[in-house]
Amino acid sequence: MTSEPRAFLAIDRGAATTSVALIGRASGSWRLIGSLAVPAAADVETAIDLLARRVRTADAGLAQDLGLAASGDQILDTLPRLQVRSQRPRRLAVVAASERALAGLRGTADRSGWWTVGASVEAADPLAMSALLLGADVDAILTGAGDPPRPDERSALGELAALVAATAARRPAVPIILAGGMSEGLAAFGDVARRPGEVLLAPAAAPDGHGGPLSELLLELALPPDDPRRTVGTATQALADVLDRRIETIILGHDASVRVFAGPSASGTESHARVAVVPSAAVAPDDPDDAVVDGVLLWLTVASDRHRLRDHLRELRIAPWADAAGEGAALRMAAARAALVRLAALTEGTEASLAPDLVLTGGGVWSAVPAPTVALAVVDVIRRPGASQFALDHARLLGPLGAIPDAEERRRILRDLADDLLAPLGTVVTPAGLRAGRSAGSLTVHAAGTSTEIDLVPGGLELVDLAPGETAVAEFKFRDTVRLGTRGRHFAVDVGGGLAGLLVDLRDVPLRLPERADRRRYVLAAWQMALWAGADV
Amino acid sequence: MTDTDLGRADLPLVATRRLLDGAVDLVFRLRPGDRPLVASGESVVTWAPIVERLRDPHLIEVAVPATVEPQPGGRIAEGELLFDWRGRWRVAGGELTEPIDTPVAGIVREVRPGTSITIRASGRALHGIVALGAPTRGRLHIVAGSDGELRTGSLDVGLASTILVVGSRIEAETLTRARAMGVRGIIVGGLASKERRDFVASERRQHAALHRLPPFAVLVLEGAIRRPLAGPIRAVLGALAGREVAIGIDPPTLLFDAPDVIIPVPPTDLVRVRAGDLAGRDGTWVGTLGPRRFAGGVHLEAAAVRFDDGQTLAVPLGDLERFV
Repeated sequence: MTSEPRAFLAIDRGAATTSVALIGRASGSWRLIGSLAVPAAADVETAIDLLARRVRTADAGLAQDLGLAASGDQILDTLPRLQVRSQRPRRLAVVAASERALAGLRGTADRSGWWTVGASVEAADPLAMSALLLGADVDAILTGAGDPPRPDERSALGELAALVAATAARRPAVPIILAGGMSEGLAAFGDVARRPGEVLLAPAAAPDGHGGPLSELLLELALPPDDPRRTVGTATQALADVLDRRIETIILGHDASVRVFAGPSASGTESHARVAVVPSAAVAPDDPDDAVVDGVLLWLTVASDRHRLRDHLRELRIAPWADAAGEGAALRMAAARAALVRLAALTEGTEASLAPDLVLTGGGVWSAVPAPTVALAVVDVIRRPGASQFALDHARLLGPLGAIPDAEERRRILRDLADDLLAPLGTVVTPAGLRAGRSAGSLTVHAAGTSTEIDLVPGGLELVDLAPGETAVAEFKFRDTVRLGTRGRHFAVDVGGGLAGLLVDLRDVPLRLPERADRRRYVLAAWQMALWAGADV
Repeated sequence: MTDTDLGRADLPLVATRRLLDGAVDLVFRLRPGDRPLVASGESVVTWAPIVERLRDPHLIEVAVPATVEPQPGGRIAEGELLFDWRGRWRVAGGELTEPIDTPVAGIVREVRPGTSITIRASGRALHGIVALGAPTRGRLHIVAGSDGELRTGSLDVGLASTILVVGSRIEAETLTRARAMGVRGIIVGGLASKERRDFVASERRQHAALHRLPPFAVLVLEGAIRRPLAGPIRAVLGALAGREVAIGIDPPTLLFDAPDVIIPVPPTDLVRVRAGDLAGRDGTWVGTLGPRRFAGGVHLEAAAVRFDDGQTLAVPLGDLERFV
């Protein structure tokens, strides 16, 4: 895309929500003019037309400048489009010689955009493994071993290679990945060049199961280049370069959730974002098992039981946009937190040891709830001592902008759009190591020539009004030594305002919730109520 | 165009649901050892056996003479060849088999031993959310209203060989009793997770038994909570009452081959409220209203819908669906 057009459309076609944003040139730079989110099953062209009408109604002059003054399909058809589309995660059958090797391979694949099923020679017989690999819903096969193979794998590798090669012959269109020591079994697959499905050699799974070349290869195979769960990674990296900040992006999706870490490129060395795409952390899994239901029940602020909740989660899966008001909103917030828990558990170890400068979140699940509650939902789950700014990708621009192929142009457009893209939620400060008691110390907020002092009570949340765009210095004086990035008692932190203002989180790290369900619901609702005007659930 | 006209033009923002589809590819899953009885391109008639299913398959090691040119997926007397390991073939074999019949006529599109058979079913299809049990066929019989519920005591042997439309919900106990009385299938609006779990467990027990009942299926049209059947769907089912229909499991569908049946086309501006306080009601689309505040302090894109009682109400756009 060139900078010649005066406007373009950024379209993110998600599994549950389609988001349409109109970007236009105003005063020499790209700005977000407006955006609209509609159910994925809605007609996109009608959504674009409605968005254009709203722009015309709100500012006819701007619409004129952007060439949208007249209504009609032809004008909208001529607008350039950056479009990304989520694909439903596909299924990968994973087989290995030992349970240990299987766990490493599945751990890597689970974070790389695949739904996995698996079996090992150690725990399953060849008939069960053949049935698994021949399954009608299997889209690709991964088999692997250590490099070099471990003693507990060596004796079974030959038979395993023969079994996989026989399946490969029966299902020639299915791609096969041979990882680590399994690549020695390539000869069993015959002339792979004549096979319609690729046979790929890959390195072994990383010892800790996180990232590495195998993960990158699996991610490339799992998702096409225009899938927003991939392009969010490039967009986050570009944003980290533009803002010179360490950024963590968390996108909660209907089919899969994404977690990205990116740091700014420095000294001419280009940095690359670490991307994890986790289908099992979908907000509404296909068939919610007891673990998923119990996970959601933990965060639910309305009374329910397992059976009823499972029914409602199934409904959320079938029609993610329906029933978004009232108790439906409470269900979404609980499902989102539970998805975050699953995402955090599967990406543990990949996260930055220090709190990032900016936590950016997005996803259709947040589109119906008040923005301030989004920051709370994230810090309820992702708990680490430190101070971070929080922002919401409210117009879901990260995916489409990450699809701009030229890195320099991507950075240029993101530089223009950063302020519009990031709806500031505020700053969250989370000290750890507080001792229970009446007071942990005090906070003085210096902003616009005035100072406000607040007593810090352990176990709760302190909210300080700080509007978007405002900055302040938060001066903490703790009675005892705490962890806030470093250990100490006195801290001065630069904070930025947002829709939630300054949120000082004095709760436990990690969060401890009451065992009793009614007490837990009360506590969760009380925390949420402070940030959710008009919430009655 | 006026604003009102433009609001009306926004109807495509409402999620669409396809009322009827043409020919559907019906998939029958196979396991290693199952023997396909049809080949790709063949025509099959209703109730034709298509698979010889192996009960309790187990692994056998066999030395196969090279003269038979064994290939993975090929068959020998002992069963299905899986793979060769050091000169001996691993084979999926077993003693007991049972036939699987197709409940629809059609053309075999694909046969993949050990994986699946795909049949392009002739006729039309009404899609559901999920189907449990085994593909089946029977005469369609409507026993309850759109939001009614079939009780166990309402079943009798006179309903044998029928597929029953039972309204908005049903209990697992009624499902198992219906199966025991020879009913071939149930079509229901909603099936709660608990009933679903109990029925699946009952099906598993039934499959383990030596003397099996005829195939039985449950087709769920709406979801997991109690919800009346939509008007256009009721119209389709009403038109099919008394006719032979089939239930497919993958994909979950009601299949019928009745070219003479005229299905009423729903009005283009008919919308149905899928969720919320007004769930289950049909109305007429008036237009978009823009973002509105709803219960719980959430702001949602809304639309005005006129209902039969003359009221025009704001409904979240996401709560609406329409049939095409």
